Amino acid sequence: MRLCAIAAAGIVISIAGCQAGKKTEDRLAHEGDPSKTGKKYVIGMSQCNRGEPWRVQMDKDIEEAAKAHPDLEVLFKDAQNKAETQQSQVREFVQQKVDLIIISPKEARPLTRPVEEAMDAGIPVIVLDRKVEGDKYTCFIGADNVKIGREAGKFLVELLGGKGNVVELKGLMTSTPGQERHKGFMEGIAGSNLKVVFDADCQWLEPNAQREMKSALSRFPTIDAVYGHNDPSAHGAYLAARQEGKGREKTIKFVGIDALPHEGVRYVKDGILTATFQYPTGGQEAIENALKILKGEKVEKNITLGTRRFTKDNAETGGEAL
Amino acid sequence: MALLVVFVLGCVYTPTARDTGLPIFISLRTQLDILFEYCEYGLLATGMTLVILSGGIDLSVSSVLGFSATFFAILTIGYGWGVPSAIAAVMAAGIVAGLISGVLVARFRIQPFVATLAMMTAARGAAKLISGGIKVQPAAQPWYALTDDTPGFFRWMTTALPGIGVQPATVLFLVCILTMAVIVKRSGYGRQLYAIGGNEEAARLAGIPVRRVKLQTYALCAMFAALAGVVNACRQDIGDPEAGFTFELDAIAATVIGGTSLLGGRGGMMFTLIGVLIMAYINKILSLNAVAIDRRMIIQAAIIVVAVLIQRQEKG
Repeated sequence: MRLCAIAAAGIVISIAGCQAGKKTEDRLAHEGDPSKTGKKYVIGMSQCNRGEPWRVQMDKDIEEAAKAHPDLEVLFKDAQNKAETQQSQVREFVQQKVDLIIISPKEARPLTRPVEEAMDAGIPVIVLDRKVEGDKYTCFIGADNVKIGREAGKFLVELLGGKGNVVELKGLMTSTPGQERHKGFMEGIAGSNLKVVFDADCQWLEPNAQREMKSALSRFPTIDAVYGHNDPSAHGAYLAARQEGKGREKTIKFVGIDALPHEGVRYVKDGILTATFQYPTGGQEAIENALKILKGEKVEKNITLGTRRFTKDNAETGGEAL
Repeated sequence: MALLVVFVLGCVYTPTARDTGLPIFISLRTQLDILFEYCEYGLLATGMTLVILSGGIDLSVSSVLGFSATFFAILTIGYGWGVPSAIAAVMAAGIVAGLISGVLVARFRIQPFVATLAMMTAARGAAKLISGGIKVQPAAQPWYALTDDTPGFFRWMTTALPGIGVQPATVLFLVCILTMAVIVKRSGYGRQLYAIGGNEEAARLAGIPVRRVKLQTYALCAMFAALAGVVNACRQDIGDPEAGFTFELDAIAATVIGGTSLLGGRGGMMFTLIGVLIMAYINKILSLNAVAIDRRMIIQAAIIVVAVLIQRQEKG
């Protein structure tokens, strides 16, 4: 028994050892090598939840952009959807004295203080996607969900000739993106004869959207379009229509948001979604601005990213900027 | 012993601060942060240990935490109540939730897993209901009493006390778990708890008021969960109806890693303190090293199993 425990502990130690050892080695290699001119910058990136594909894409965008600059090292941390964890991550970066922090906060209020503390410690902070309270940060980069929702609404009005029954499959409505994508959409269809006949909070999740869509299909004989707050919701709705077996998936127009390369854009190419609207991650822009900040250049305080619409015609060529 | 192993691991694999070159893990600041970060789990585990000792389980603690965080925030921010009365009300609400679970278990003989599963769902629903489905923060609704900032108590609770360097939230957790450790060890209630967990039938025949003890236990557990909710609201600076999601699993894990048996009747409160610390250390080490989440989860699982094995061996 004792042997077993010790053996197991040994294994764990060596696994952890490989991990940590490798890290220190290449860090030392960089720092200790005098032939490398210029300073190496360390950026700490705290992602609120890598359980969401869109956020995985954000990290990927940051990684890709950073690769082009050998003097950048990015430490990625995932808060697994817990604001408390994210608070500690920011504080750890401060203790470690990284050169710059990028944070995509889970929630504004809880992260406000840690970000302030980092700024007080002289570490610049780039806030991505969701804001913090007040204005004690270096730079905020985000997209406009209300605008994207509005564009989706206007697109459907045009597509359906101004009238029809729409199902709205919402994201988590306690979250701001959900509220804003809804608000924008209602603005987009205002004044037309488009009617939201059925809506449900699907919490961004495809299985929920599929289930809710089944209820909508059984209640309404005519549904002209589905507006999903994200692409998986729209995709789930498509699957529900196909499973119904009446061929309605061919007549209903499905529209989603996010336009990730392997998700929404793919669905559009496959003819499942009629359109998807990009919600840009801002990963690349974050690295661009980080470099400027590290070099002492001035950057804009608030940067709002645009959106792109992907339809079957332009999906191959990267969509159309709106 | 397991705690020591994990601590040594932490000392070996600590990253260093880039300016001073000092190891971060061993610093006093980090050690206090570790306690602070885990004090909500600690409070939940304190209550959980009582319930598990009695041979039951309480899945509802996470939702009671979420409800209490929301309730506390809405009382102070929404209705402008004073902090002491709000805490009293939140604790009372927690105790009521615990009593309901307790009655379902003790009086109606519903299995603890099922009864507290029901309470888990109900409390989460209640949290969303009282908040109107939004996160409670100043000016979130036009009628809220506070529109500018949360009460100073929120910040005080989570800021290190000058001089000592410990956050009041951490002190609250330590006071709670140490008090309960003494009560479980020395009082009649503690002895009855072990007796019921060891053999409920025998305890009943020996004249122990089984129902009453169980009621007290579930009420206490929910009360600690309510306190954890207050801490959560202060830490997050908002009342989040989704707060605490899946925390019950961490609380159970900490209790079991410490060495308290899920079968009931064996274990103790100080074991749980060790269990909480082990979990907190593991998390901190992996987080400090920025270990990627995929490997992190696997390493975490391996360390938990090893920790349980070592703890078990210790008790013979």
